[in-house]
Amino acid sequence: MRPLWSGTITFGLVSIPVELLTAVRPRQTAMKLVDKAGHALGREYHCSKEDKKLTQDELVRGYETDSGKMVVITDEEFESVAPEMSGDIELRNFVPLEKIPPIYFNRPYFLAPSGKSTKAYHLLTATMEKAGRVGIGSFVMRGHEYLVAIIADNGVLRADTLRYADEIRTPQAIGLPRPGKATASKVGQFAKAIDDLTRTDLDLTELEDQEAKALEKLAETKQKEDEDVIHRRGLEQAEGEEGGAKVIDLMAVLRKSLSKSAVVKTADDSSPISLDERRAERAAKTASHNTSSSKRKARRSGTKRKAAR
Amino acid sequence: MARAMWKGQLQIGKQKLGIKLYSAVEDRTIRFRLLHAKDLAPVEQHIIRKDTGDEVSKDDMRKALALSAQTAVLLQPEDLEKLVPAESRDIEIMRFVAPAVLGDQWFERPYYLGPDGDNGAYFALAEALKRKDVIGIARWVMRKKRYVGALSAVDGFLTMSTLRRADQVLSFSGIQPAQSVTPQASELKLAHQLVSSIEADFDPSLWQNEYRQRLCKLIEAKARGEKIKPIQPRKKRAPASLEESLRASLAAVKEKKVA
Repeated sequence: MRPLWSGTITFGLVSIPVELLTAVRPRQTAMKLVDKAGHALGREYHCSKEDKKLTQDELVRGYETDSGKMVVITDEEFESVAPEMSGDIELRNFVPLEKIPPIYFNRPYFLAPSGKSTKAYHLLTATMEKAGRVGIGSFVMRGHEYLVAIIADNGVLRADTLRYADEIRTPQAIGLPRPGKATASKVGQFAKAIDDLTRTDLDLTELEDQEAKALEKLAETKQKEDEDVIHRRGLEQAEGEEGGAKVIDLMAVLRKSLSKSAVVKTADDSSPISLDERRAERAAKTASHNTSSSKRKARRSGTKRKAAR
Repeated sequence: MARAMWKGQLQIGKQKLGIKLYSAVEDRTIRFRLLHAKDLAPVEQHIIRKDTGDEVSKDDMRKALALSAQTAVLLQPEDLEKLVPAESRDIEIMRFVAPAVLGDQWFERPYYLGPDGDNGAYFALAEALKRKDVIGIARWVMRKKRYVGALSAVDGFLTMSTLRRADQVLSFSGIQPAQSVTPQASELKLAHQLVSSIEADFDPSLWQNEYRQRLCKLIEAKARGEKIKPIQPRKKRAPASLEESLRASLAAVKEKKVA
């Protein structure tokens, strides 16, 4: 698995080589693009003048100015904009986590140690956990600068990207009315309603992906009725709707780089993390479907499988 | 004055409050177009069959849910239609919890809520949320999609952040460093001193997107036809032992403070 970024975290003169990995699983609603017969589809770039297929090497990025002029920025120029920022996350401040308003949080990543020794990594993690502080720094990845909070979370470092102040609107800019004095009776009514609904913990079923559940149910029904089921080699290469988010085996990466006993779980603790585990679970489910349905049906889907291949 | 992107109604037990929804985020990304290097013509995206390379029209495109590496279920347009949730203006608040219960990995995209008619009730709810120091877990349907969110009060205004789903958020356990890489007590002490020496409050105004600013300048200069000198990267420092590095860092911080 390739990391999204690799570089070093520095605080003071200490540097910690790390690799950046996504800490968000793609939603289970992500689908593949196929044609009516189930052939895998892909994207291609063509020149609008010559109508020929272009390879990655033939593409450049251009910025259209207000006057309509196209300014081309080469890859070297993108890199030369801030060469020192693309290799380092320098922690310049340590702040209490609760002092960062939730509105700033954008996307979480995990940082896995990548150097020979993981001692400095463990040192920073233990120190931040004990002090109750998170490090703030910034770095450049793929032509974008990110402000990040480096957070120690159960022995692992996370880099949560933050929005810059100028990316957040103020209530004034939106044009919301000035806060007026709230009537005491109305505040009391809301406070009472809040009390009635206040609980100590989250209920993760309230946060489950209902869209994914509905989609899975529909897919299972169609599979049972053997309707629109495709069996094709190369299907996994089909482009995803959103550019194809890859499922990565985070657990394997962390066990290798950090700790043999590392366990990665989803918040609801129900979905297998790795693709292999998930396939195994699917296969087990399908097998139990087949044994419960009639033999005739099983045979029919068997022949269809052969024909489609 | 920004335009509201949606109108809805908060449902908190028997209490109701009409609200308007506004994006709290301003996109400042510099957008580039993909061009053909040879003639600088913009590129067009074509959807093709992977095995034959034949172009496929929009009408012939379908979505499929992968079940395994080589098996998928194809979804017809009428299937997708069936999956669209029923339209509603209601934002149901299911429970309130202490803010710390929800880790920051959950937060996806923030919105401001504004009053829709009853300003008094709007500010009363913001006040009640502040007094109780809680956030509300919400569920609603907007533009044919389901959302989960966190309702909170920020500086007297109501905000709603959409949340990631329970199976998207990952957590860890069982990280036990080997004996050989467990930091020494002396190193921990020095590191703690170093962290304390650069402790501060979070001040977002201190952080500018420097890369974006420099990129803007580069584009402007190139548009004027100026030559650009590339900036040379800094030289890497020589690695020292962990304890030496910590001591040197602390000394540097102290020197800075004296000066």
